[in-house]
Amino acid sequence: MNRLRLFATLLIAVSILAWAPRITLAHGSVTPDADLCVIQIGYFKAHFKVYLPETHQHEDFCEDLPGIGNSVFVMEYEHDGLAQTPIDFRIIENITGQGRFTNLGHIEEIDNLDKITVFHHSAAIQPDVFTVGHEFDKPGKFVGIVSVTRHDGDGLYTAVFPFEAGYTGLGFWPWIIAGLLLLQLNYLWMSGRLGALRNIFVIMLLFTASTFVQAADGPRVPVSRDGHFQLSYTSELQPLVINRIHNWILRIVDTHGEPVTGASISVQGGMPVHDHGLPTAPRVTSGPEPGTYLLKGLRFHMRGHWELEFTIQAGETRDLVIVAVEL
Amino acid sequence: MRQLGSIVVLLLVFGAAYYAWMHRPVSPKPWTDDDVVTLRSLWIDSLPMLPTDPSNAVTDDPDAAIMGNRLFFDTRLSADGNVSCATCHQPDLGFTDGLGKGRGIGESGRNTRSIVGVAYSPWLYWDGRRDSLWSQALSPLEDPNEHGSSRMQIVRLVATEATYRDMYRALFGQPPDFSDPARFPVAAAPVADPALASAWAAMSDADRQTVNAVYANIGKAIAAFERTVLPPATRFDAYISAVVHDDKEQQHALFSKNEILGLQLFICAARCTECHNGPLFTNHEFHNTGVLTVPGELPDRGRIDGVREVLGNEFNCRGEYSDHAERRCDELTYVRTGPELLGAMRTPSLRNTSGTGPYMHKGQLATLAEVLQHYNQAPDAMIGHNEAEPLGLTGPQLKRLEAFLHTLATPSAR
Repeated sequence: MNRLRLFATLLIAVSILAWAPRITLAHGSVTPDADLCVIQIGYFKAHFKVYLPETHQHEDFCEDLPGIGNSVFVMEYEHDGLAQTPIDFRIIENITGQGRFTNLGHIEEIDNLDKITVFHHSAAIQPDVFTVGHEFDKPGKFVGIVSVTRHDGDGLYTAVFPFEAGYTGLGFWPWIIAGLLLLQLNYLWMSGRLGALRNIFVIMLLFTASTFVQAADGPRVPVSRDGHFQLSYTSELQPLVINRIHNWILRIVDTHGEPVTGASISVQGGMPVHDHGLPTAPRVTSGPEPGTYLLKGLRFHMRGHWELEFTIQAGETRDLVIVAVEL
Repeated sequence: MRQLGSIVVLLLVFGAAYYAWMHRPVSPKPWTDDDVVTLRSLWIDSLPMLPTDPSNAVTDDPDAAIMGNRLFFDTRLSADGNVSCATCHQPDLGFTDGLGKGRGIGESGRNTRSIVGVAYSPWLYWDGRRDSLWSQALSPLEDPNEHGSSRMQIVRLVATEATYRDMYRALFGQPPDFSDPARFPVAAAPVADPALASAWAAMSDADRQTVNAVYANIGKAIAAFERTVLPPATRFDAYISAVVHDDKEQQHALFSKNEILGLQLFICAARCTECHNGPLFTNHEFHNTGVLTVPGELPDRGRIDGVREVLGNEFNCRGEYSDHAERRCDELTYVRTGPELLGAMRTPSLRNTSGTGPYMHKGQLATLAEVLQHYNQAPDAMIGHNEAEPLGLTGPQLKRLEAFLHTLATPSAR
């Protein structure tokens, strides 16, 4: 039974070690949030990640970098405001002696920031996403400083994140412990005591199963319309084929079958299965006859199941019609 | 010791079983009616008539194509007299150059795309920053890393050299007189180069318009030539013909078992036809597929910047140099914008793909095997969102897909 306890302890130790990088990185103003890192600059938020494309390909990092060389820092704005605000990005050598606990206060005490700056991207607006690149030529301790101008023009919001480049992490310890664990498991198996571990396995199995259940996506429930309108359409492109821009004539009638005139209609759509929208931004204008409308600039770029979602506003009545198209 | 031995034996047995399962013999399933519909849609015989280009009045004029052909191969349209369109778009290499990134005067920003069948695409370039063949043809001429020339030099060459002058006159009327150096400097263009830009700025509005109009016409002639470059029928097309005519013997003679299995994966489990569809194997659309940046470069923003550029381009379908009388430019009018275009690039055709590597917008992936591996893994994108999802295909399945892709190669000339 002692062995069993030892085994359980080891199991817990390994789990903690596996999660340790994330836990220890929860400092400064970059924090892990679910499986993403978030940088908070004043009230602005962005997803934050760093790449080392040469040595670590698609792997992304939250602050500490396991290598040196070419790096790419990416901030994906969670707040639209960042797309319209000049962002200043600076990397300095960490001379504060505070290591992971370096904060804005320590940075403000530094007299000549430029002297220890290894990379500086002067304040500029980057729409859509923020990217900067820097080549780390040697390992070391650094501090990233991100500043954005406050909207009231009164100074800056600044975020500070200390990090290491060439950070070797926990080294080989997780591997050594995992190896010991395997040996122990093998021993238990061979000595026929594995049965005692049944409960642990059952719990692990249930846990794994529950992750799968969470990951599985339920079927999309079709949105039912409130019954105010009926929409029929004729495509100017016959038969409907992919990759051709074309128009539709829409006919809208109310519950009595009377044409609905003067409605304002907006359209959105896409392929629910592939989670993408239309390749164009079609618009609806009034059509040749009362109750008809022209849907212009429609194009489908894939075969399969498409859905078009028409929002119809006629007078006070607003309703939604979903048209399914199979191509 | 006996314990260790039993573990080793167990591992070997599992390993052998896994290998045998992965490489188990598979036979192609017979094509269903649905499959045949899909196969027919990929067939070269399904290629529709070339779409018209109302923004280019000489688009289908054979004389314009002859003039365009001459321009396409003319190295005088460059700063050093060594670069023509064909420097990067080499006919022998499927109108590409076999390089990761194009190389003219210097290294260009992206991988050279083939021009075969390009007239079918509403957008040009990887990021769709041009909306017609003719407006596209104009921009490499002034790119400092490509032809490195200026529109003033180009229009002067065409207006003064005897053959071009005659061709131009027959198509567009008498070329303007550019001989007055006070009005028309040696070199001038609205580009980043300060000398060219200031020479251009010093010209009068009317003279600049005169130059632009001739420059646009030169692009229209090149476009008329490029339209004639169409994909030939391949072994794949012969096979589809045999499928359509239910000729089993021909099918057997044309495609190996692996190629049929690869094609079945292509239209089904590998989900390739979601983007590589139609007879040109492209939907001409923009997708982010999470390709890694070139080390030392920032991730390419792709279509999101391309949309901004094409909407502001003076030579677009709505511009004053377009021949489109009504300015009905559906693609521009209903163009899609938005964050999902971040990092998105235009789907390339897969016709002759085995002859047009390296692949991806910066030539990041050298071989088709690497490309297939990339789509099989579908890693997260550095910027934006990778639309592809991991496929979970096995090694042998990827090999079959690759075998199939080779059947789209342009047959070698005899």
